[in-house]
Amino acid sequence: MNIKKYNHIFIAILGLFLMSGLIGCSKDAASDGNTDSAKQKPTEGGTLNVAISADPDTIDWMYTGATVTRDVGWHIFETLFALDKDYKPRPMIAEDYEISDDQKTYTINIRKDVNFHDGSAVTADDVVASIDRWRKVSSVGTIASEYIDQVKATDEHTVEITLNQVYSPLLADMAAPKSALTIIPEKIAKDAGEQPLQPEQLVGTGPFKFETWDRGSEIVLAKFEDYSARDETDWGGLTGKKVAYLDEIKFQIVKDPQVMINGLKTDLYDYVQQVPPDLYQMVESDPKMDPVSYINGYSTITPNKAKAPFDDIKARKALNHALDKKTIAEATYGNDEFYHFDGGLFDPEQKELYTEDGTDGYLAYDKDKAEQLLEESSYDGKPITIMFSNSYPRYEKIAEVLKEQLEEVGFKVELEPYEWATYLEKWQDPKNWDLVVVGWSTRFSPSELGMLILDTNSSGWYNSDRWEKLLNQWSTANSREQKKEILAKMNQTVNEELPFIKVVNESTLDAKSDKLKDYDSWVGQRFWNTWKSK
Amino acid sequence: MLQYTIRRLISIIPVMFIVSIIVFLIVHLTPGNPAFLILGEDSSEESIAQLESQLGLDKPMVIQFFDWIKNIVTGDLGQSVYSSEPVLNIIIGHFGPTFSLMILSLILVLLIAIPTAIFVVWKRKTVLDPMFISVSLLGVSIPEFWFAMLLVLAFGVAIPIFPVAGYIPMAEGFGDWLYHLLLPAFVLAAVEIGLIARMLRDGMLDSVNQDYTRTARAKGVKESRVLMKHVFSNALIPTTTVIGTTVAGLLGGTVILETMFTIPGIGQLLIDSIHRRDYPVIQGVVLFIAAIYVLVNLVVDLLYAFLDPRIRYD
Repeated sequence: MNIKKYNHIFIAILGLFLMSGLIGCSKDAASDGNTDSAKQKPTEGGTLNVAISADPDTIDWMYTGATVTRDVGWHIFETLFALDKDYKPRPMIAEDYEISDDQKTYTINIRKDVNFHDGSAVTADDVVASIDRWRKVSSVGTIASEYIDQVKATDEHTVEITLNQVYSPLLADMAAPKSALTIIPEKIAKDAGEQPLQPEQLVGTGPFKFETWDRGSEIVLAKFEDYSARDETDWGGLTGKKVAYLDEIKFQIVKDPQVMINGLKTDLYDYVQQVPPDLYQMVESDPKMDPVSYINGYSTITPNKAKAPFDDIKARKALNHALDKKTIAEATYGNDEFYHFDGGLFDPEQKELYTEDGTDGYLAYDKDKAEQLLEESSYDGKPITIMFSNSYPRYEKIAEVLKEQLEEVGFKVELEPYEWATYLEKWQDPKNWDLVVVGWSTRFSPSELGMLILDTNSSGWYNSDRWEKLLNQWSTANSREQKKEILAKMNQTVNEELPFIKVVNESTLDAKSDKLKDYDSWVGQRFWNTWKSK
Repeated sequence: MLQYTIRRLISIIPVMFIVSIIVFLIVHLTPGNPAFLILGEDSSEESIAQLESQLGLDKPMVIQFFDWIKNIVTGDLGQSVYSSEPVLNIIIGHFGPTFSLMILSLILVLLIAIPTAIFVVWKRKTVLDPMFISVSLLGVSIPEFWFAMLLVLAFGVAIPIFPVAGYIPMAEGFGDWLYHLLLPAFVLAAVEIGLIARMLRDGMLDSVNQDYTRTARAKGVKESRVLMKHVFSNALIPTTTVIGTTVAGLLGGTVILETMFTIPGIGQLLIDSIHRRDYPVIQGVVLFIAAIYVLVNLVVDLLYAFLDPRIRYD
């Protein structure tokens, strides 16, 4: 008997058996057709299972600007003002407002009968306590706080904010979807103080209320039956009329993107977030899945301006001219659905903040010029370090291509990859790096542009009188024209002083089940005004 | 025997103390600041310093270490930096899924490996034996994550018999619990099945030609009884050690599988806590795992004496 022969046959059978799964999958993926149905009547009820990639540190949306907190938090909490579909501030819990002639007193009327999840109605005292907490714990609120002199309730539904000097971005700051001015009951705001809200303190006015949080596993929200919706239907974003059709939303923490996609295919999940762009074709070609993409900030290269060689503007210009951003983008993102070339500090969809003026120097690739500028600069030929976090494959890829391009013009380069927590620590010390590659999520005001906060590690120790002056002008600008002019100068300043170099605008890919209807994404997932078919 | 057991239990104390020193040093010397991670990249130096002070991270390391040890002695493993919950509660909360996965895997290992080894030894002169060697080698060699992916694609997606991820506690229904855990438990068991079945087969083949087996056969005892009574029971003793290490191996294997199957167990807790630099939880989990290893070893040693009366520790 030829034993070896039998061994081979057995292994071959086993292999075929195991591979059958893969073949089955590829057949699924090859089938075509997107089934976005015609307009149907919304169905009430059902549980929506959403796979999110990280467990939040807290669901206190005022306390942190973390994306994962925001994704859950904006179903529970609401703000006085909120951004609409075009990123324009509109009232949400506020009914209307008045600004005094000297532009230093804001009188805000609050909508009557807006209910908290604990059954009480929102009063001016709740709003005052929420603003007081926002001024202390929110990264946006602490900036606005410098301009606020006093916040007081003048009657049960009116709040008066007095400024110590004119500060026109106040409404935009109160509407910022990052570290937001969420309105919570006065007692909770006072009890929590500067600590993040505990699960039992997650009481807001949103269309869904907090139910349970099994850390590391899932967060469950339930429909808030006494929700007080606005009347408008067409504002979009985080304001306007919100209707909760779903009974329950379960945010389930799923780390592996492949598990997310498999779960979406087998109806385990209805919506999955942060799918790698490589899987776009798979999502698009499967009739049970629809791709959802939305803006998510941009990728950047930041030079360390606290030491040589990039304290020298000529070395920074050499760096800028050495970058072939088209090659970087193709190598990093592959599919051009997920990157856009644009030199503005804000995204084109942010109509109130976007201008392309001042962005002429954005695509400055010119190798000869880069070589010449490097020659003229104080660069002494010592290796420079590019630091990045290998927890994010796209920034790792950018760093690798960047190294090649810089070496072509005469830089010597060393790559320094670190896992995210180590990267953050190394980032704080100017001795540790010359360039960092990192992405910044969408910002909603010039004062929130973290990569330009003067003299900090996040800005690579950028110190600029010109930028400071522009920020001051921004705080007093009150006409649309004036704002556009300042924004153009801001673009120009960044393109000339090169505190950081913008690579490309990035889009995020999520995927949803075809059962989720009338879904409209914004800068993240919002599950009101959407419903699940049987 | 009692004296030996007490001696062994006492010897656990210095082992655990050394483990605690090592884990504390590794955790605290690894770069990364929990306060910075919690507050995010836009945070100011003042807010980071304030949070560090609240978390007690601004104290000298020696003081932090002795504070921690002092609390452990009183049964307090500290509080999570990330969730402020007591570490012990967090570990207990996450141990259920891991324990479920380990026990179910162990049951699968024993249910599959032992009958397979006995059957192969019984049919040792047929083609089954070399085939068994190949398959068990395959089982030991396949990387867990790859095998898991294949099974998920085959029996989760292409032929959707099992869910691709998730965990339901046994309290919410035995059927649901089993339905969610069977696939990961089988992946986890696969490596150990190959190992234990091979060990048992080799041990049994050694015994097959021993004098006592020949005597039994000469006395006219049936072959099946010879195999079970004389061969199997003798081969079980060395296999016990391997089963002991299997429990430890299963615990290690859960780290990868819990992430792949989204099971909220100890393994996933450890990985998440490392990413967050949640020092008290990392330290607590490592100590907990070390304690399980030490206790499993002790149980294995005691089982020796139970299985083989010739072994005496006194």
